[in-house]
Parts: sequence; C-alpha cells; structure tokens
Amino acid sequence: MADKSKTKIHPAVPELANQLAKGDIDRREFLRTATLLGVSASAAYAMAGGVTGSQFVPSAQAATPKKGGNLRCSMQVQRMDDPATYEWTQMSNTSRPFLEYLTITGTDNVTRPYLCERWEASDDLKTWTLHMRKGVKWSNGDAFDAEDAAFNFRRWLDPKTGSSNIGLFGSMVTETDTGKKDKGGNPIKSKSMTPGAVEVVDKHTLRLNLNRPELAMPENLYNYPTAIVHRRFEEEGGNISKNPVGTGPFELKEFKVGEKAVLAKRNPKDYWGDEVYLDQITYVDHGDDPAAGLAALASGQVELLYETFVEQLEVVQGIPGTQLFEAVTAQTGVARMQIDKKPFDDIRVRQAVTLCQDHQRLLDIAYRGKGAPAEDHHVAPTHPEYAKLPAQKQDYARAKKLLADAGHPNGIDLKLDCKKTPSWEPALAQALSEMCKPAGIRIQINVMPDAQYWKTWDKTPFGFTAWTHRPLGVMVLNLGYRSGVPWNESHYNNPAFDSALDVASATLDVEERRKQMAKVEKILQDDAVIAQPLWRSVFAAGTERVRGYELHPTIYHQLGKVWLA
Amino acid sequence: MIVFMCKRLGFMVVTMIVVSTLLFLLLEIDAENVAVGVLGPYSNDEQRRLWLEAHGYFEPLWLRYGTWLMKFASGDFGQSIRFNVPVAEVLWPRLWNTAILGFWTFALMIPLSLALGILAGMREGSKLDRSISVTSVTTTSIPEFASAVFLSAIFVFWLKILPGTSGMSSGFEFKQLILPVMVLVIYDFGYVARMTRASMAEVMTQPYIRTAVLKGLPYRQVILRHALRNALIAPFTVIMLQINWLLSGVIVVEFFFAYKGFGALLLEASLNGDIFLIEACAMVAVFVAVATQTIADVGYTYLNPRIRFA
Repeated sequence: MADKSKTKIHPAVPELANQLAKGDIDRREFLRTATLLGVSASAAYAMAGGVTGSQFVPSAQAATPKKGGNLRCSMQVQRMDDPATYEWTQMSNTSRPFLEYLTITGTDNVTRPYLCERWEASDDLKTWTLHMRKGVKWSNGDAFDAEDAAFNFRRWLDPKTGSSNIGLFGSMVTETDTGKKDKGGNPIKSKSMTPGAVEVVDKHTLRLNLNRPELAMPENLYNYPTAIVHRRFEEEGGNISKNPVGTGPFELKEFKVGEKAVLAKRNPKDYWGDEVYLDQITYVDHGDDPAAGLAALASGQVELLYETFVEQLEVVQGIPGTQLFEAVTAQTGVARMQIDKKPFDDIRVRQAVTLCQDHQRLLDIAYRGKGAPAEDHHVAPTHPEYAKLPAQKQDYARAKKLLADAGHPNGIDLKLDCKKTPSWEPALAQALSEMCKPAGIRIQINVMPDAQYWKTWDKTPFGFTAWTHRPLGVMVLNLGYRSGVPWNESHYNNPAFDSALDVASATLDVEERRKQMAKVEKILQDDAVIAQPLWRSVFAAGTERVRGYELHPTIYHQLGKVWLA
Repeated sequence: MIVFMCKRLGFMVVTMIVVSTLLFLLLEIDAENVAVGVLGPYSNDEQRRLWLEAHGYFEPLWLRYGTWLMKFASGDFGQSIRFNVPVAEVLWPRLWNTAILGFWTFALMIPLSLALGILAGMREGSKLDRSISVTSVTTTSIPEFASAVFLSAIFVFWLKILPGTSGMSSGFEFKQLILPVMVLVIYDFGYVARMTRASMAEVMTQPYIRTAVLKGLPYRQVILRHALRNALIAPFTVIMLQINWLLSGVIVVEFFFAYKGFGALLLEASLNGDIFLIEACAMVAVFVAVATQTIADVGYTYLNPRIRFA
C-alpha cells in the first residue's frame, strides 16, 4: 500500500514535524495527523523517524507466513443487505473481506490510504480532494473509479437510505423543511446532502465541499457503515449478500444469517493489493451464548473468537493451546440522562448522579480494572485530542445538597434501563446504583433483553448504553452529542457545546486543538449529561495457530496479513 | 369413533383460532411497533407510514386479522426481520433439525425409561426399585442448563473427546449430536421411568396378576403377556406429551450447544423482536401441543377398552 505519488504537502505538516521534534506531540499523534492531511503512511513513518532519529516502523512478523488454510471464527452472522445501514460491527466484518473502504484505520489508530490512494485537505479543512486508486477491479470485472465513491456518498446522505452516516458526515448535509407537520403541529425537518457537496472532478478524483471545517474526514471514511459498494448496487437489487460485488481479496461463497458465512480467496491476479495468506474465512454463528464460542474454541471447531468477555479470561487462560489478543480502546458504557425529561431536566439531579461516582472503583468492581477510568465527557485518553481535566471527586455531601435544592430532600427514586448482555453492562449499572445509594439516589435497574433495549435506547429517560470505539473523540461527540443528530440519545442540545465542537473539529494545531477540546469536554462534563464510569479494554481468544492477527479496538477484522501455522 | 375424532379435530381447530387471535392482538395491534420492528429504530415517520400503507395496516383490525389468518393458513408467514428471508425458509429447516434431535432423544430415552420403569415397578420396594427411583429423581431434578455445563466440562474441556458446539457448520456430524441428546435424555428419562414405574406397580397389585401368578404361570410370561399391556397405557400419554415438552425444552440445550433448531430459533426471534417469526414459531408450537394431545387422547381411548367409545 505504499504511496509513491508526489502530493502537495499541507502547510501544517512542517509545523507538526517541529512540534514532534520539540516533544510537544508524540509520534503517534504526528503520524495520525500527518497521514490525515494527506502524507502517505510510509512517508509519515519515515519523517517521524527522521525527526526523532529513532526507528518507528510497524511491528514485523516474527515468523515466515504460510499460505493457505481456512480460518474459522466464531461470530454472529447477522443480516448482510445494505452496508450503509449496518448497525453492528459484526455485520461489517462478514462483508469486510470483499467490501473495502476508502481509508483504513490500523490497530495503531493511524488512518492510511485504501481505495483512496491519497487525499489533500484545503487549508481551511472545508475542501477535501480524494484521489482514487487506479487499477482496482470489482469482482464483476468493472474498474473502480470516482463515480463509485460519489455514488456511495450520495446514498449515505440520502435520508431514504436510512443510514447513520448522515450524522457522521454532518458537514455535508443541510436541514430542510419537508413542509409536513408532526402530530404536535411542529414542522418535520429532514437532513439531506448539501447540493454540490460531492463533486466528481475526473475519473479518479472526487472533491468533497463541506459546510464547515472537518478534520476527521479520512477517519470517518473507515466507519463500519461506509463500505464502498458498486455504483449499480441499487439497480442490481440493493442486497450485497445476494449480489456480492466487491473490490476486496475475498469473495462471498456462502451466506446464511444466524448460521455461517464462507469467504474464499479471489484470484490474486485480480486483486489490486498484496496477496492474502488465507484461502478461506468461515464465520460460524454460535448464537448469543458467549460460552458456546469458548466451547467451540476448546474443542478445535474454530480458531478465533470475535470477542472474549472479561469474565471469561480465566477460562481462556486455562485452555491449553490458546492465546489472548487485547486492545486498549475508547469503548465505553454511559448512563445517559435525557435532559428534556423529568427529573433530569433539572441539571442538579444529573449532577448529583455524576457526583456519586468513584470512577476507578467502578472500573475495578465491574471490569476487573482492565481499562481506564472515564470522566463523564466521552473523550478517552487514547484519543489524540484528549485534554486532561482536573480530577473528579466523589462528593456525597454536595450530591445530597444538590438533590435537596432540586426539591428532593428525601432522596429520589430512578429507573435505569440496561441491556442484559454483555454481563459487564448490568454489572456496571448495578455498581453505579449501589454507589449512588449513600446520596439518597435509589436506582432500580431494569435489565432488558438486548433487542428490547435497542427499541427504547433513544427514548428512555435514563438508560445505560454501550458505545463502541472511534479513533477520534470529535467523531463520537459529533455522532452522539451534537444537537439534533439521530444518535443523540440524551437529547442534549447546547449551542455553546455545538460551536465549541465546531471550533475543535476545525483546529489543526494539535496543542491548540487540545485546548479547544478542553472546553468541549468541560461543557459536556459540567452539563452532567452522562455518568460515564470507564473505558474498557477488549479481548479475543484464539488458538496458537493464528498468526499475524492484531485485535482492532473496534474489533474490525483486518485479516489480510493473518495466516495459520 | 368418527364422531369422537371429529370432536377432537374441531377442538384442535378452535384452540388454534383462539391462540392465533391472542397472538395477533398481542403482536400486531400496535401497527407502529410492527413498522419499527421491520424498518429498524432509525427509520423515519415517513418511511414507516409508507410501509404501513403498503402492507395494509390502515385497514380495520378484523380485516387485517382475516387477511393475516388466510395467509398463515396458506403457509405465507411473512418475512423474517432478523434473517431477511421468508419465515418459512428458516422455520422448516430448523424444525427438521429439532426433529432429528428429538428422534435420537426419544430413540434412547423411551427404551431406557420403559425398561427401568418396568424393572422398578415389578417389585415395588425392592433394592432395584429404590436404586432406579433415586437415580431417576436425581437426574430429573438437575436442570438442563446445569447438566449441559457439567457434561461440557467433562467431555469438552477435560477429556476433549466431544465437540463443544453442535452447529453442524460443515455438514451433519453425528458426534455433534451426542452432548445435546445426552443432556435431554438425562433430564427426561427419569420422569418417564417414574411414570412407568407407578403404572407398573399399580398393575402388579391387580387381582388378575395375582391370579396369573398363583395359577403357576412363569413370572416372565405374567409380566410380558398380562402386566405390560395395561401398564404401558399411562406412559404412552406421558411420552406423547414429552414431544410437546421437547419443542420448548430444547431451547436451553440448543442455545447452549449452538444447535440450529427450533428452540434456538424461537429464542432468537423473541430476543430480536422478529414479530412474524415469533408468530410462526408460536403457532407451530401450539399446533404440536394440540396435535400430540389429540393423538394421545385417541391413542389412549384405543388402548384402554374401559373408556373406548363412551
């Protein structure tokens, strides 16, 4: 994936190199931002090494890879129809071997070129020029070009598609009045692509014209519902499992929801990238019981598990011939309060809840200390723009006073809706409930079957929702906390927060951006929208035969370099 | 006999209609809920309205029910939300898989439990009777989820001689059936054995058995010729009802061993709010319950001359 093309270097890159030399930013941050601004990953690695005088290359494989073999992985095989409407990482993993993305974020949190071989951002970060890779062939023989990419953008940003990408690419959409009214007589507004936001410059160049500056564009392009489908996807039925045309190194051979998906290696000559080692990938669905996957691993029915939960770690360590993969992530669970529903419309009640937390203890109790304590603002220490705020302290006296001031001198009864699985979620909700008791906050935990919870996750006044890892803090804030976006489950609506987030999302200078993020984080933390106890590590168990696998923080399967010993 | 059969069949049809009405009211009265289930939580009002209109959800309730019932009776169960294919396409193969599991469970359980029940009932209070009774009570009182874990720990994690899951992902493999069948047999044989024992013990106290013994017939002949036929009437009904139990009882076993059967399907449908699949599964379960009950009643009447054609 080396990029030898000569590109205009973004004016901010020399300054970045300067900051790296001075030690103001670390190498990972340099690599990440430099590659985001269009410097190829290999050039960025070389620059980082040149600046600091040290070697900084991705970890090399310890042994010589072996070609062939069928990697069997235990993972839920869910619906695979329209990739733009995927709701789960597992859905994207089944199509990931044959549907590729414009960019790819590695396990090191650095985003690199993929179907898009390089990109340039304008100085104001409002125009992005994407240069599509040449010589990429779809499995039906067609050549991949900028029209394919443009088709995908248009679909994502069409409200009829029903894709969550419309929130992710908020800088490319405009809200318009539909002319219709809802039951309450309020005008129904609809978000759709801003005219001219996507421009095909030539056969291999696409230009994105944004309404506001956006730094995370390349990273947004590697979100699970942004897999690139063929330009005739809709004409040919709009179902990728029935018409599996892709650009990836594998092709879909067999697919049965709830049972299995079989992907076989495509003729390496037809694939643009490096040859993959595996002949076949088989996803086997073992249902919702995590113990079933472990039993399958123990009896040699699979080589890899999609995910191993924290409570299973001891069992895995007891099975001979297995290894454990771990990734430090920005995955989390938030007890979010809807600010427009009683009693959470009173900020004092929300603050009282957040003040009861001892984040480190909650991490220790509910997640065996494997991760990091969070700070109620949904930006993780692993995010490059993370700004450390003053430490929060558990303060029951203040919580009680706030409750009394809010008209609840004898405490308050709350109901927290929560999913049943994975088990750390109800465990954490329970721990939070116990921790709130001394302040007179009596939280009744309502553990619901997962599907039932997802029906009400954005409606319940008080709910505990798990959020997956995203490489940048601004990405998740734009998805979940900006006013009016579909996934804004807390109904948070603060123009000051939105504009601070706009500024942070548009600030290139890392130190300056961190300062801006400190403001964003502080607003969210002070508004006490979420009680967020922890960031969790994720794990996956596999047999010792699995080589070259690195667990991605979002468990996106990148199996191109995986081989079986 | 014909009148009796007609009555039973009529009862069967009425039961199913009542259950179908309840099901329909429970799952489909809130049309908005159906639309959210089908189109997903991120769908907008416009999409939902269009879908509801296209699928006749703005018609009066009775008309909707009538259409739904007719479609159901003709085998059109609708489209599964989770599997994204017609319900029938997932339902029948899954039911067939459970039938395979059920067949092997019954093939082992019936001879085993009948033999043990007869042996125990032959000499009530004997050492053999006590041993069998204690074993039966013990195995029946261990729930499937416990025995499944226990057997897995032994055969999968410790001895490593059996596969841990039974998904049959690379084709049918008999080895993968062993653990699920074992769990089901262990749980169920005790119950049938106890029933057979009770029935046998009761028959053994009858005057005609005493007469047979006293007139000098060999004991073996007394059991096989005279006692067994009457002693097996009650177990027959119990066994028929086990088919019904098996259909829902397999949920735990199929879930634990990732066996792709009807029980796992029912659970998956419920957990994922797959409305049309839940409806179809529930109707199949009701049909099996009512049908086995009818067969049991007819069979019982046929086997027991005392209540035949009353």
